[in-house]
Amino acid sequence: MRRAGETFKFELIFMAAMSRNTRYWLSQLCGWGLFALINIFFAYSFDKLGSPQERSDFYWRLVIFVTTGFILSHLMRYIIIGFNLLQKRLEQQLIIFVLITLVLAFAASTLENLLLMQFDLQNKTERAFKNNFLLLVLSGAFSMFTLFFIWNLIYFMYHFVTKSQKQQLDTLKLEALVKELELKTIKAHINPHFIFNSLNGIRALIDEDPNRARNAITELSNILRSSMQTDKLESVSLEKELNIVKDYLALENMRFEDRLRVEYEIDEDTLDQPVPPMMLQTLVENAIKHGISKQITGGKIKIVSDFKDSYHELAVQNTGKLVNGTAKGDGFGLPSTLNRLSLLYGENARFSIKQLTSEIVEARVLLPVQMII
Amino acid sequence: MRAIIIDDERLARTELRKLLQDYPEVEIVDEAANADEAINKIDTLQPDLVFLDIQMPGKTGFDMLAELERAPHVIFTTAYDEYALKAFEVNALDYLLKPIEPKRLADAMQKLHVAETKENHIVPENFNQSILTEADQVFVKDGERCWFVKLSDIRLFESVGNYAKVFFAGNKPLILKSLNALEERLDPKTFFRANRKHIVNLRMIEKIEPYFNGGLLLELKGGEKIEVSRRQTVKFKEMMSL
Repeated sequence: MRRAGETFKFELIFMAAMSRNTRYWLSQLCGWGLFALINIFFAYSFDKLGSPQERSDFYWRLVIFVTTGFILSHLMRYIIIGFNLLQKRLEQQLIIFVLITLVLAFAASTLENLLLMQFDLQNKTERAFKNNFLLLVLSGAFSMFTLFFIWNLIYFMYHFVTKSQKQQLDTLKLEALVKELELKTIKAHINPHFIFNSLNGIRALIDEDPNRARNAITELSNILRSSMQTDKLESVSLEKELNIVKDYLALENMRFEDRLRVEYEIDEDTLDQPVPPMMLQTLVENAIKHGISKQITGGKIKIVSDFKDSYHELAVQNTGKLVNGTAKGDGFGLPSTLNRLSLLYGENARFSIKQLTSEIVEARVLLPVQMII
Repeated sequence: MRAIIIDDERLARTELRKLLQDYPEVEIVDEAANADEAINKIDTLQPDLVFLDIQMPGKTGFDMLAELERAPHVIFTTAYDEYALKAFEVNALDYLLKPIEPKRLADAMQKLHVAETKENHIVPENFNQSILTEADQVFVKDGERCWFVKLSDIRLFESVGNYAKVFFAGNKPLILKSLNALEERLDPKTFFRANRKHIVNLRMIEKIEPYFNGGLLLELKGGEKIEVSRRQTVKFKEMMSL
């Protein structure tokens, strides 16, 4: 299985390389072809191809020029890849780039002039300077330099753009990965204190009330299962989430007994709304931890779900007081809730926690309403 | 041995009671569901041992211990080991993780017996509830750090405003008690009021030197130098000559 995967990966890389090579050859052919076409077009427009002799000379000269240009620009690519020029610093790239262009332009011009001489295809001006080969090379090198310069410009531009595109893609992939990991760690969290205290309570119940003990084990299993399963889900229906919360509160009720009273105020139409898994649960856990468990006489927890304007409102109210009028964000619950909301909804969700009356603290989440089809 | 179980969850108390049925030497004299209730019950019942849950409504188990005059033997019971290290630092007899493993409870009981037999060698002859003897321990809480300290390990009490600084080993935390209140509770055979600001443990004196004005200068084992006022010098000499 693994080997098959590796072969597959290899093929992918191979294909990518293939396609890159194909693209290179295509652009190389198109570029020089275009250059040839432009030359032919201008030659016709200026009516330089009157006699068959002129025409044949022109085409042969063009073939020689384009061939040397083609071969030497291909050589340039070899040098660029061989030097690993694209990975070097920008200043180095620039210097080497100019140097290569210069050297190859001279080489191409020398080759071209030698070929022209060999096949006796020189034009009048060239014939006039027959004895000054250096001058001929110099003038030829000038036009070659311009072309190679453009060639290089396109080559570097292309690589620059694809590189930055790849970088962007990589950053996006990385961000997505970080997001996924963050969500995973946030969801996996269940207060171990709660688990062990519940288990301890269940052990006491086994003699005292075996039926209640059996139920409690089911409730605890549901919570543990959902905390593990939700790793795979980005959202869950409120109904499912509420079932977990009910199991959770039933267990807390076993521990706190008459110190904990629970009230629900749920609009039934909101039951189908998707919510981030274990978020309401975290808020209820917070309400118990910072509210009810701090009160010697206990208190009340009220869970509200309703539509408010274009939002789905979820609120958890509990007996208690905010320390210094603000919620401490140093624990796990609040920062993780804020984090998750901004990861999942960006700017479209709201979260607040405030002292509602002198006795009641309310944590409130507004989620964008999702249309259910 | 008389014990009190302190836990805010009734089921947790029931469970511990059941586990302790195997130890007839431990008599559960009462239960408490929060720190204030526990302080009252400990003051009136004077148990030898408390099983103490750390997280409770209102005050934590540590807060409760810091308010006690005399700390009994303490076995912490907690659901999760986040407080375990802390319990070690405070040098509790032991700590148990809930749900409690019977074998761990047996170990804790063993430790308790060892501690008990050690103490029985120095049973105070005139047992007086209100006087703290050398064998007694106090619970000292200074911010986040807590200690169980045997009185015999304390070198010096120093008055700092309404507080008293307690010197033992390398530590000198503050406790909210006046020096006068402390003097009333401490055994005068061991603890001596050297001056307005200091009570020293006589067994911790390393050197005694004469000081001007007819006073004395005591050097304690921790290197602290304490001046004995002229009036107290007379008393000190009287005590020492016996």
